[in-house]
Amino acid sequence: MTTVDATTRSPLVVACLRITDLHPEVDLLTGAVTRDGLGVGLSPADAAALEHALRIAEAWTGRVVVVAAGPRYIVPVLREVVALGAAVVRIPYGDDASDHGQAAELAGDEHGLARAVAAALIPFGTPDLVVCGDHSVDRGTGAMPAFLAHELGAAQALGLVALTAERAGQTSGPTLIAERRLDAGWRERLRVPIPAVCSVEGAGVRLRRAPLSGALAAGSAVIASAPATTTTTHGTDGGADSWADNQSGSVHIGATRAFEPRTRVRPAPDSADPRIRLLALTGALVAHDPPTVIGPVGAAEAADALIGFLVRHGYLDGPPTPPAPPTPPAPIDPGDR
Amino acid sequence: MTEPSAFDAVVVGAGPAGSAAALALARAGRSVVMVERGPFAGSKNVYGGVVYGRVLDDIIPTWWNEVPVERWVVRRSTMMMTEDQSLAIDYRSHAWGVAPYNGMTTVRSHFDSWLAGQATEAGAQLVTSTVATGLVRDSAGRVIGIRTDRDGAELRAPVVIACDGVNSLLAKEAGLLPRAEASHYTLGVKEVLDLPAEAINERFGVRGHEGVDIEILGCTRGIPGGGFLYTNAETVSVGVVVSLPHLAEAKVRPEELIADLKAHPSIAPYLRGSHLREYAAHLVPEGGYDTMPTLAADGMMVAGDAAAMTLAAGLWLEGVNFAIGSGYAAGRAADRAIAVGDCSARGLASYRADLENQFVLADHKRLRKAPALVLSERVQQRYPGLLCDLAEGMFTVTNPTPKAGGLRVTRAAAAKHGVKLRELAVDTIRGMRIFG
Ligand SMILES: Cc1cc2nc3c(=O)[nH]c(=O)nc-3n(C[C@H](O)[C@H](O)[C@H](O)COP(=O)(O)OP(=O)(O)OC[C@H]3O[C@@H](n4cnc5c(N)ncnc54)[C@H](O)[C@@H]3O)c2cc1C
Repeated sequence: MTTVDATTRSPLVVACLRITDLHPEVDLLTGAVTRDGLGVGLSPADAAALEHALRIAEAWTGRVVVVAAGPRYIVPVLREVVALGAAVVRIPYGDDASDHGQAAELAGDEHGLARAVAAALIPFGTPDLVVCGDHSVDRGTGAMPAFLAHELGAAQALGLVALTAERAGQTSGPTLIAERRLDAGWRERLRVPIPAVCSVEGAGVRLRRAPLSGALAAGSAVIASAPATTTTTHGTDGGADSWADNQSGSVHIGATRAFEPRTRVRPAPDSADPRIRLLALTGALVAHDPPTVIGPVGAAEAADALIGFLVRHGYLDGPPTPPAPPTPPAPIDPGDR
Repeated sequence: MTEPSAFDAVVVGAGPAGSAAALALARAGRSVVMVERGPFAGSKNVYGGVVYGRVLDDIIPTWWNEVPVERWVVRRSTMMMTEDQSLAIDYRSHAWGVAPYNGMTTVRSHFDSWLAGQATEAGAQLVTSTVATGLVRDSAGRVIGIRTDRDGAELRAPVVIACDGVNSLLAKEAGLLPRAEASHYTLGVKEVLDLPAEAINERFGVRGHEGVDIEILGCTRGIPGGGFLYTNAETVSVGVVVSLPHLAEAKVRPEELIADLKAHPSIAPYLRGSHLREYAAHLVPEGGYDTMPTLAADGMMVAGDAAAMTLAAGLWLEGVNFAIGSGYAAGRAADRAIAVGDCSARGLASYRADLENQFVLADHKRLRKAPALVLSERVQQRYPGLLCDLAEGMFTVTNPTPKAGGLRVTRAAAAKHGVKLRELAVDTIRGMRIFG
């Protein structure tokens, strides 16, 4: 794990932005979506991510790099970002004709995208902090920041409404203080170690305007584009090795497909009353497992409890039994997860 | 406040006038910056829908190969209507559907972005999301730049060209624009409606990239003004342009006028099944030649709608071509003035002379009396009904009663609408003098 050490290098704060057409046309009949690039901009969450990145970099006296995956029509927005003093790199993505092959491969592949983002950052050094908008590049599933955190060997915090830099203590490097909403108007405050990938909501901060001199200078700025490569070598100064190289990773993803719960045969209800039959079939009014509090427990134990629940209720096969040689182990069908 | 930047010229507004001005300057090798308050050129701009491209011939040869066109207008209809009648003069030309074309429907966000792109490709710089908040003057009162809303930073240049559209704040601040009078303005409101291309083609009798322009009189509940219906690729634009003080007096909401127009038996069949996509409203400087500001001051020029250059003369509603023509001329005048080091009002006087020698001021001068005639009570409230009744009288078959003669029908229609034949003759002669 890295710490921000201004004596050896300037801290690197990255804003990973999802720049897209905020007003795409949707055909009422076919549902086809047309993007023309004129409505392209930053969502409130991404604007907040950028502002947080700028503020934290100021607090740490660091550099800001903005990385965004998108087609060529996002370049004008990236110029506005340059006007704010950030370095910028674009990963051709989506319908970018010039890089069609790899760009198309990245579309819809959060893992590949995270690796491309991590690879694009290599020339700038290892990030101390990456801030994403809560609706991040992967259509807002929140998976991409998690993959990115894994790529960078960083901690991850999601759904933040506040993010501030905490000064370095005598024995520790600087950390981040983050806040997120809880039920009933409560908030929890987290101390996030660095390196970290943090996703922020569009709340609490407003993106600053670039000075006129910045806007003028940005007009002719060249926006670098990083190839949509998926090979990363981050982690040499503390972060994890790239996913592909690190077979000790705890998760292995095989082929995926849409979740389809298995059909289960239920005995026909033996009542002449349609209401009773309906109740029996739907299970309404039948006592269910009450909510169970299993914590506080460690992450591994919590995961086991969840998997146990899913297996008990037929959503997952049980854990594979150790293979009896010479038969190879039965793979877990990832489609059932 | 940041260090003022020095350019040869500052252009305020990246509408058609501003982009044309910047293009002329950039082509002349001048350093020019365009300041636009919207996030991109055309983002704020509203118009009916037809641009007449002849003005571009000299500026961007074969512009039709690259302009973002929706449809080429091949059918132009001038319609007069009452509540339940309509009479149209419908003109169709094959020649208008092939290069070099006549008019096109185009979406302003696309068209303005394209034109601004021509300027930036030629070397002009465009700064968006930035509002010019005022003029900067030197101790002698000459305009030497503008202030912006980015931390109050200034942009300095020997010439500022105000292309900031109707009701120009900069022209007012410079004392160039006479005191705004509501009667010099109309309010344009329009709806863009989704309609599949096949439905447009079938209903308007066109195909491929062919389009239709319908200008309408008598559809505004007697409020001086007119209506329009234009076909785009997969949408139609329908709207009205009405006199501002009369609208206020009538206490009618403008969208009610559009609703009336859409429901008219001659218009409704065109729009059946369409969906509202957007609604917009904007002022139009319709006062014409007599209400134009002084065009140049020391260090400053005014072009396009900022200089009240929309030509609204009944048969025509043309603003974009006048904006381009005046903007380009302003850019060239600025270049000449910079070359000789005299950007005073005198040094910039060639701008007006240039406009007098081309369509911009020549058309305005010739048609200077048109707005008054077109917006007059008789033309607006009586003639549409009179003409429709005249047509009805001529075309209604009255067997076994013998056909009435043309004069009798005219007399009857005129009497019904309270028009004396003398007045009709006077207005006809007036019209011929203005438009002839
Ligand atoms: C309803 C309606 C229908 C019309 N129909 C037609 C038609 O069919 N055909 C036609 O040719 N014309 C039509 N016109 C007229 C036409 O729209 C105008 O004549 C034309 O847009 C004028 O161009 P311009 O560049 O002078 O001004 P505008 O197009 O108004 O551009 C002015 C630009 O300046 C920017 N700006 C303003 N103030 C500032 C500031 N302080 N700082 C920075 N930027 C600023 C604005 O955002 C805008 O981009 C119509 C107008 C209306 C309202």
